[in-house]
Formats: sequence, structure tokens, C-alpha cells
Amino acid sequence: MLNELERKLSVLILVYTTLVAVSSMSLYLLSEKRIDTYVSLNILAYYVSYAVIRPSYTTKSARYLNIVLFAIFAIIVSFRVYEVLTS
Amino acid sequence: MNTRLLIFGLNVLVISLILVVYGVVVGDNGLVGVAVSIGLVGGVLVVYSTTPQDPSIMALTSYSDILVNAVTSALEDLDLLESSICTVRRTDATLLVYSKTPCPIEVDPGLGFTSGSPYLAIPVKTPSEVIESTSESAITLLERNLVTILVDEYSACRSVRVEEEGGFIRVYITGLVETLKQYCERPLDPYVLLVLSSASRILGARCIRLVDKKNMPDGLLLILGVERVGEKT
Repeated sequence: MLNELERKLSVLILVYTTLVAVSSMSLYLLSEKRIDTYVSLNILAYYVSYAVIRPSYTTKSARYLNIVLFAIFAIIVSFRVYEVLTS
Repeated sequence: MNTRLLIFGLNVLVISLILVVYGVVVGDNGLVGVAVSIGLVGGVLVVYSTTPQDPSIMALTSYSDILVNAVTSALEDLDLLESSICTVRRTDATLLVYSKTPCPIEVDPGLGFTSGSPYLAIPVKTPSEVIESTSESAITLLERNLVTILVDEYSACRSVRVEEEGGFIRVYITGLVETLKQYCERPLDPYVLLVLSSASRILGARCIRLVDKKNMPDGLLLILGVERVGEKT
């Protein structure tokens, strides 16, 4: 019998990996060459799954992961905005 | 720690690394993108493998059920189900006391009588080392310690906030974990136990009693009354 905690974690991982598989496959089939697009969509998939499943139990390392992923996402978006503004 | 998830995550990382190398060699940026994406999934799996979810949690839950039932039966026999709960600080130990007398100071571990009414005193241990700081107020220090214990170490809740109001200490605990939530309605509530034992040690009070416990939509509100030596609030 899985407890509530394990169940939520399993669902989170399942939803996240499914979203990543779908998004990465779609981008590859569309011949997308920019690596940052793959990374940003992956991070977005993570946050969408996290927001939907909302595990009540998070460790310190998971909280650091959230911060790091958000920082990477912010850097990618800022770089893209900068590119648009300077082009 | 979930070892299976850790090994799986590390395998995914290795595969993604190989794919990145291959993608760079053949000059396929799309493949490198997919590989990096897979690598991120591996990283997330490795991080989430640190979540404690061993079968020991099930064993501990079952063990806790038995202990809580035992304490509840003892309290029922002593007619202490509606009693007040407090922690009494002694030189050698801190005691969690169930008694109808508010803050009975002269108690010994186990069952006994004080002022003509029965009590049950359970020796408790503060879960972790107290972070000492001279610049912070006792309430801030208590909040910081409770966050360290309940949120960072035990992941028993999402947040803890402590306020002092009208001579009482109000402890707001939000985002309770499902495994422990079931004990909130029982006499031996882990949140009450941890908050009282931490408060007893940090505030250095001789007796701290649970004045009120309210169930909030997103958690718990515990109201504590502090009694110092020769002083009552």
C-alpha cells in the first residue's frame, strides 16, 4: 500500500516525464535547434506538474532545485528578451 | 532516501550525457536539446530520490498508532482525555504532562497524583540542537527553531509562524503533512508535542501549557501560555 506522500511523488514524476517527453518530441519533430527552448519547456513542464500535483512534502534539496530551475528559466527568458530588444 | 529512484535518475543522467556527446559530434543541436532535457529529468529524479519514503515510514506509522492508542487508553482510564497539556522543565528532563491541574510543577515521570488529581508525565526530548543567538528575541528564536525542526528537518509542514499576543504565544502551522495530520485529533499530537518541547527549551520557562488548539482551513493554531518561576501569565 502506497501512502499519500509516495503517491503524490509518483504522480508528480509521471506527469512531469510525460510532459517532457511530449514537448521534447514535438520540438525535435519540428526541427527546433535551439537548446534553450528545450530547457525552458522542460522547466515549464516541471513547474506545471508541481503546481498541479502540489506535493505537501518537500525536502530542502527539492526547494533548492525549485530555486535553481527558476533561476535558469529567468536567465533564458531574460536573454531572449535582450536579444529581441537589441535586434 | 529512495535508492531505486536515485539509481534510475543517475542512469538517465549518464544516458543524457552520452546523447549530448553524440549530438555534439554529429552536429545535431536538436538532439543535444533533447539530451539536455532528458538530463534535467534525471537531475529532478535524483533530487526527489532524497525524499524519505522508505517502507520504514509505514512501519513507523503503524508503531505510532499503537503508541498513541496506548497513551489514549491510559488517559481514558485516568479520566484525562479532556485534560490540559503542558511541558514542565526540570534540570534533568522535560516532561509532557497531562493533568486537570494547570501547570503542575511537582511531577515525576509516569503516573501520579498532584493536588488530588491524577497526571500522566511523559519525558520528552527536544528534537534538535537549539540555535543560540543573543541578538534575537525569544519569539524570533522560537520561530526559527520551529522552522528548522518542522519544515527543514522533518518536513512535517510547509510553514511555521510565531507571534506573541496578550501574554500568549500563538503558533501558526500551515501545510500539515498527511501522514501526521491523522494524529491531530488524538491526545498525543506530534505538532503539539514538538512545539511544546521546543518552546520549553528555548524560552527557558518552567512550565508551558497549551491554552488552546484550533484547526484552521490550512493547518493548526496553537496558543501557548508561559509560566516562569514564580510568575504566571
